[in-house]
Amino acid sequence: MAEEVKEVKPKKRMTATRAAASIGPMVKEFITSTLQARAEGRQKLAYTFIVCHHEEILRAMDVIPIWTENFAGICGAKRDAERFLQRAESLGLSRSLCTYALCGIGFDQWREELGQMPPDAPWGGQARPDFMISSGQIICDPRSKWYQASQQFMPDVPIYNIDLPYPLFQRDQDHRDVWDYYHKYIVKQLRGLVAFLEEQTGKKMDYDRLRELVDLSDRTWNLIDETYKLRRAVPCPMGTGDAMNTMVPINFMMATEKAYDFFVDLKKELEEKIARGEGEVENERYRLMWGGGLPAWYALNDFNYFNSKGASFPVETTYRMVAPLNEMDIPETRDPIEHLAWRWLGYWTFWYDKAKKRPGSEPDVERLINWIEEYKIDGVVMHEAFSCRSWHVGLIWQLHQLAKIYKPIPIYVMGKDGKREKVYRELPSLILESDIIDITSYSEVDTRNKIDAFIETLESIRANRAA
Amino acid sequence: MEGRGDSILNTVERYYKDYGLRARELRNEGRRLTGYVCSFVPLEIITASGCIPFRVRGDIHEPITTGDTLLETIVCPYYRSCFDLSVKQKYDFLSGMVIPHGCDSMVRSFSAWSYSLPFPYFHFVNIPTVCDQSSIEFFSAELNTFKKSLERFVGKSITEEDLAKAIRVHNENRDRVRDLYEFRKTDPPLISGTELTRTLTVGSSLPVDEANGLYDRVSAEIKQRERSPVKKGPRILIDGACLDNVELIKLVEELGGSVVADTICNGARDYFPKTDIGGNPIDALARRYLEKVNCPKTYRANRAGTFEGDIASRFGDTGVYAKEFKVDGSILYLYKYCDPFGFEVPARKAYYKSINVPLLHLEDVYSAGTMGQLRTRIQAFLEMLG
Ligand code: SF4
Ligand code: SF4
Repeated sequence: MAEEVKEVKPKKRMTATRAAASIGPMVKEFITSTLQARAEGRQKLAYTFIVCHHEEILRAMDVIPIWTENFAGICGAKRDAERFLQRAESLGLSRSLCTYALCGIGFDQWREELGQMPPDAPWGGQARPDFMISSGQIICDPRSKWYQASQQFMPDVPIYNIDLPYPLFQRDQDHRDVWDYYHKYIVKQLRGLVAFLEEQTGKKMDYDRLRELVDLSDRTWNLIDETYKLRRAVPCPMGTGDAMNTMVPINFMMATEKAYDFFVDLKKELEEKIARGEGEVENERYRLMWGGGLPAWYALNDFNYFNSKGASFPVETTYRMVAPLNEMDIPETRDPIEHLAWRWLGYWTFWYDKAKKRPGSEPDVERLINWIEEYKIDGVVMHEAFSCRSWHVGLIWQLHQLAKIYKPIPIYVMGKDGKREKVYRELPSLILESDIIDITSYSEVDTRNKIDAFIETLESIRANRAA
Repeated sequence: MEGRGDSILNTVERYYKDYGLRARELRNEGRRLTGYVCSFVPLEIITASGCIPFRVRGDIHEPITTGDTLLETIVCPYYRSCFDLSVKQKYDFLSGMVIPHGCDSMVRSFSAWSYSLPFPYFHFVNIPTVCDQSSIEFFSAELNTFKKSLERFVGKSITEEDLAKAIRVHNENRDRVRDLYEFRKTDPPLISGTELTRTLTVGSSLPVDEANGLYDRVSAEIKQRERSPVKKGPRILIDGACLDNVELIKLVEELGGSVVADTICNGARDYFPKTDIGGNPIDALARRYLEKVNCPKTYRANRAGTFEGDIASRFGDTGVYAKEFKVDGSILYLYKYCDPFGFEVPARKAYYKSINVPLLHLEDVYSAGTMGQLRTRIQAFLEMLG
């Protein structure tokens, strides 16, 4: 069975903002509070997934969500996932599968076998849930398979699986032609969730409270959008390294005043930094976009390494799971469940119209292009985490397509007749390869060598441009 | 399809090796062929539109090259191979392609497929992940969207009658496949697993009526057999996803086993469930593909409230086949990076234990190169079965 050896502790990543620095303790407090709630037994605890637009429903029913991806990420960040991964492997699960899920299943099996937390469980461990809310949706298979697999070890814990599809982008189809029946279906699925929670908690949904919470998260969505757009400033006041912390209120705390207040503070902090001309790095030389991929949680200080080379990350596609509501073309409704379903569809189809207008474009590519321009990006970095197909399949193609339809960097070269000519060079890109939490897939030396080579490319482009 | 030599199975082998041979002929005759992957694409709608459904397959002998320049290697190797062959123009006789929401590999690579291949028609069918009244209603609406998009492509409407006829002929196809499976019941089986999977693979590259004709001829020939092509040995069920290259089955049979049953996507999973007739054809199709095609991707609620009850209902069909085909052991053969099947391994193991069927679990990478490594493990398993 699994070795109980911890890997070398990672060095702490330095944050650029106070707000990001406050996240660690916040998460720790959250994990501890779920353990306390478990012990007290007053509130129901639910395993669940981020990006399901159901936080408002859970909170309105006083159900405490346990974000299982979060706990797996913590194990990864603490370099203490291996023993849970090995346990999952010993059950017959392939190491090529989503490692968050493997870590979670390994942990659950161990906890259930012992009847208590595994030894030295990170931050006290993950509490046993009263029920599990999985989600079969178009973005991820493990979301409907993970809890089903965990249920083998806790068969008394029921599952409700919500289906949340959205229309995939198809060039010859207007998503508005089909989204009515998508909406109808999602509404039914969410109402099914309400009924399940009512049954599990013995309480009735308070729809006024739900409406308030939906309104609160809508306001938070807009506020996050405004806050993140401040990062367009040169120099950039906050980078992706910090955004991997500030993803916590976006993804784990939505529909709470705390999340809203967090972004009020962050916005203020960024505005102050901009006023002082203070960037994430002291002498900003390159502005990079984190163009895709979940981070390697055990190696977040690679962001500091980028910073040490003068590279800042004003924008990332990862974990920016919000879009401005006022720019969404979705119908108005007073019914909070109907609104959640529209917001879901509005979010996923946000770039569709724009993508249709540019020949050869596609929503993910379109988003890259727009942000390259808005955030004045010099290069794109992506991370291919081998175990998660959801966020990582398609990245190579996106870069390929980007290079095909968009060549934004003008450089001057000597033409045949000795005259200077303006040509457009592809945006340089770097693909890092490892995993979200499986540290055996990571090599710091290789990663840093790749980063060095990429920085050299950026530098030579700068030199050419200056010439 | 013209036979050559004395046996229809020789013809099958020829069409298996030169996959798409008949499709190219049909294309030259002006017919439209629509490619598809996975068992979730309702072929009846394609047939009803006048197009010919053609199952795109991979090739374990062909190294993946061009495909890897466009698609991550964390996609399951079977699907990568299908993509690689497609971008290398192996299926350039197709007029279109339909990809369903079968798994993340399919969903996330849809743009790579649809922008890289020059087909005039491309469509994605969204398959619900749960199985209840609301998902059936949603799926019916989604199938209507698929139907409409095909109507636009072929320039004619697909009537209820067209659909009913297509449903009938595809059901007949499934009946014929069932007949072929009947030959597996003797001990040793009258048809080898290699022959059967080869025949079905070829069938999925033909118009359904031609496939029906082919299956009839194969059946007629097998009926005449006096001896089994394989020696009496442990009777094996192959459990897994899509197995469109026969090497693994061949290996089991070379080592003395008889492959007599399966749950694979180009086998029982796809061919055993039939579409109900009468009533609204689109609704009937929605029910067949969602309720009856037993794919791990579809979440089926645990109604029993116990683990034992849950696995009995999720994997019960495997137990039925194990009994019906008098199976001695099962090989769970899965591809690396396949989340839907991969996460079920512990539960499937427990299920096999509950029905007392010995199990060998293999993870593979869809390459002829790994057959040597599998040989030893399969041999040991067969020896253990005696
Ligand atoms: S596959 Fe990816 S998106 Fe899905 S649970 Fe795992 S890490 Fe999250
Ligand atoms: S084998 Fe698995 S991952 Fe591959 S295409 Fe089939 S379901 Fe998808």
